[in-house]
Amino acid sequence: MSRYRVRQQSLKRWQMACSAGRLARWMALLIVVGFVGCGPGPQAEFSYRESTQKLIPDAQKAVKQTLQEGFGTPQDLVAWERFPIGYGGVRGSIVAPPKDANSTSKSVIARLEGVTDKISNNSPILWLTGVRSEGKSASDTVASFDAKTGELKWSGAAEPVPATGDVFIVGFGRSLQQGRSVYMKNCMHCHGVSGDGAGPTAQFINPRPRDYRLGVFKFTSTLSAEKVRRDDLHRVVKYGIPGTYMPSFLLLGEEETKSVVEYIRWLAVRGEFEKRTDDDLGDFTEDSVADTVKKSATAFESAKKAGEKADRPASLNSVRKSAAEAFAKYLSDDMPGAVEDTATFLAEAWTRADDEASLIVPAVPRVADNAASRERGRLLYMSDKTKCYTCHGMLGKGDGAATEDFWKKPGSEELYPRRGLHDTWGNPLQPRNLTLGQYRGGRRPVDVFRRIYAGIKGTPMPGFGKTALKDEEIWDIVNFAMSLQYQSPQPVKVNSVGHVAGTDAAATR
Amino acid sequence: MGKLWSLFFVLSAVISVAVCWFAPGWHWWFPGDGQAHSTIGKRIDALFYLILVIVAVTFVATQAVLGYVLWRGATIKPEEKTLFSHGSHSLEVIWTIVPAAVLLFIALYQLDVWAQFRIKGAIKDKNGHMVKPEPVAEVTARQFEWRIRYPALGKPLQPKPQPDDIYSVNELHVPSGRPIEITLRTDDVQHAFFVPELRIKQDAVASLKIPVWFDVLENRSYDMLCAELCGWGHYKMKAKLFGHSQEDFDDWKEHASVEQFDDGFRKPVEEK
Repeated sequence: MSRYRVRQQSLKRWQMACSAGRLARWMALLIVVGFVGCGPGPQAEFSYRESTQKLIPDAQKAVKQTLQEGFGTPQDLVAWERFPIGYGGVRGSIVAPPKDANSTSKSVIARLEGVTDKISNNSPILWLTGVRSEGKSASDTVASFDAKTGELKWSGAAEPVPATGDVFIVGFGRSLQQGRSVYMKNCMHCHGVSGDGAGPTAQFINPRPRDYRLGVFKFTSTLSAEKVRRDDLHRVVKYGIPGTYMPSFLLLGEEETKSVVEYIRWLAVRGEFEKRTDDDLGDFTEDSVADTVKKSATAFESAKKAGEKADRPASLNSVRKSAAEAFAKYLSDDMPGAVEDTATFLAEAWTRADDEASLIVPAVPRVADNAASRERGRLLYMSDKTKCYTCHGMLGKGDGAATEDFWKKPGSEELYPRRGLHDTWGNPLQPRNLTLGQYRGGRRPVDVFRRIYAGIKGTPMPGFGKTALKDEEIWDIVNFAMSLQYQSPQPVKVNSVGHVAGTDAAATR
Repeated sequence: MGKLWSLFFVLSAVISVAVCWFAPGWHWWFPGDGQAHSTIGKRIDALFYLILVIVAVTFVATQAVLGYVLWRGATIKPEEKTLFSHGSHSLEVIWTIVPAAVLLFIALYQLDVWAQFRIKGAIKDKNGHMVKPEPVAEVTARQFEWRIRYPALGKPLQPKPQPDDIYSVNELHVPSGRPIEITLRTDDVQHAFFVPELRIKQDAVASLKIPVWFDVLENRSYDMLCAELCGWGHYKMKAKLFGHSQEDFDDWKEHASVEQFDDGFRKPVEEK
């Protein structure tokens, strides 16, 4: 009994000590957290693609360096001028040198295009042409600008004196910087710092936030082969995407929306640039090195089995070394050209997207939305010409037979582990349930028309415009699809399956 | 020491009253210009100020008594006798009955405001007419935005979506100057519809369609937001409510309808 008591006492004392210690520990933790919380957060970084990480070290270094030079870091953005991105800034040209011209006045008379009241002192000046554009004057800033007389004074070296007609940009990159801060505040936590759709909140979201790095956007008004227009991104940012977690950012204001759209385009260009550069370096991956080693070993084995004389299999180190040598040659001979080609390709593609020629404009106005048109649309929907029903289902509920199949991963024989369709990003994808009246890409008839005309990029939804369907026929399908929300479509009898669809319709309506 | 405390409690009352008095001038008061911009909002404000006055008078009076008692206690002479009042029946009765009467008065006095906000729209008035305000829109809250559905120009709002309905996001347009009704819904979790300058706040509850009755007195925009922590993107649910004259409201509807039913076809410009 007495032993028990002692034990209990000691236990109590231990407990007391423990709780006091716990309290102290909690206090210490609170203090530490308090201080850490006041400090700056972790620095934002652009991540690299998995395909970059898989390259041999030298190639990896080269890709990362190219990206670094072309695009910089989130803290230190680089505006690569050849891409059609609105980096911001006010363009100007020199009209005349000042009248009391002495070479040390550091002032000129300039004409600025656009808003001049936004020229603040200390804005950087980027000289595009003339003597000052040739290096050295990179750190010029505005000392003062008089909007009335047009007199622009700069601080920096006085020499060389720019000549009349020289073109410059004041505050170059300002929009990109503004876009970055808007993006970091509102978009980053889902779409990620590098636009990879893997921000901190992304994992809780279905459908997944867009990964911009393929340069592919789903809801566009452009032809199938073209990129997304500024207007399309603008609409998505402003009105959100119903049925997904992309909310409306209507209250951002026009200037901020514009700048964030430019920043998103820039991220998309950066991502696709990295992807295409990686694709060019397909021979210099760790996988291909391992493959070579394996092949050489098998060749040696089979030669030995056949009793032939063969060279010893290549060692991993030797294959690595030869790959590094081959890459060194590629780096000096071909890579600058390849990078140049990629940049040209991207610059052209993104410029073309905003051309009028890329925009889908219906050749005929919307066909009158009446029973006859909807019936024609329904027949097309069920026809083998469009095969809409295979994905969207007999009743438009997005439950067609294709959603029950296993599909191959693109470019391989391997099947996706899950039934149903997948998008280019590898995420499972439901064909749209047309009876909900939910229009992700916009509910204007022209939006639905464009979905059918050019398909939805990055998804199995194909485009039917120009080739398979006439514009009138597309309008019939639009009328039919947009009526599904309000009425039950007549299921078409399809041999033995027909009665199933029929009973479905009766049961659900 | 006793004197110090006495001064402290008296001063705290003086400072509180002074700060409250000057607060509206410093914009430390209600959002916007400090005024309510709906009829019901003005009545809610009147109630608020009534209660504020009652509470302020009580607060100042008790602080004054407290200050007096402390001062007396601090300055009492050794030979003076203390008054011992514990167990005074009449005192107990007074400070039970007086607050009860005040509370009962508030409870009865506010009834009509509550009825106007929550009940009158659903019952008949003295003459046997329904006073139900005109339904203007269905407001659906979702994580994290407001999606709004209006009937087409000249048509009543139907409980189910109609082909000619007009939609907007994060912008609620309503006619001003007359009682209106919005139907509040949520697509997912609980949200709260809140227009601070109108003093209108109503929770949106899953599976319920809740009518909200109010009017907007001026033709301008008001901040509209979610007042229920609804998830990590709660802060994104900021929107605008626009009060329009009837004419402007009809114009807006017409304009929105044209835009929403745009078929993208543009007549080629005729060559001259």
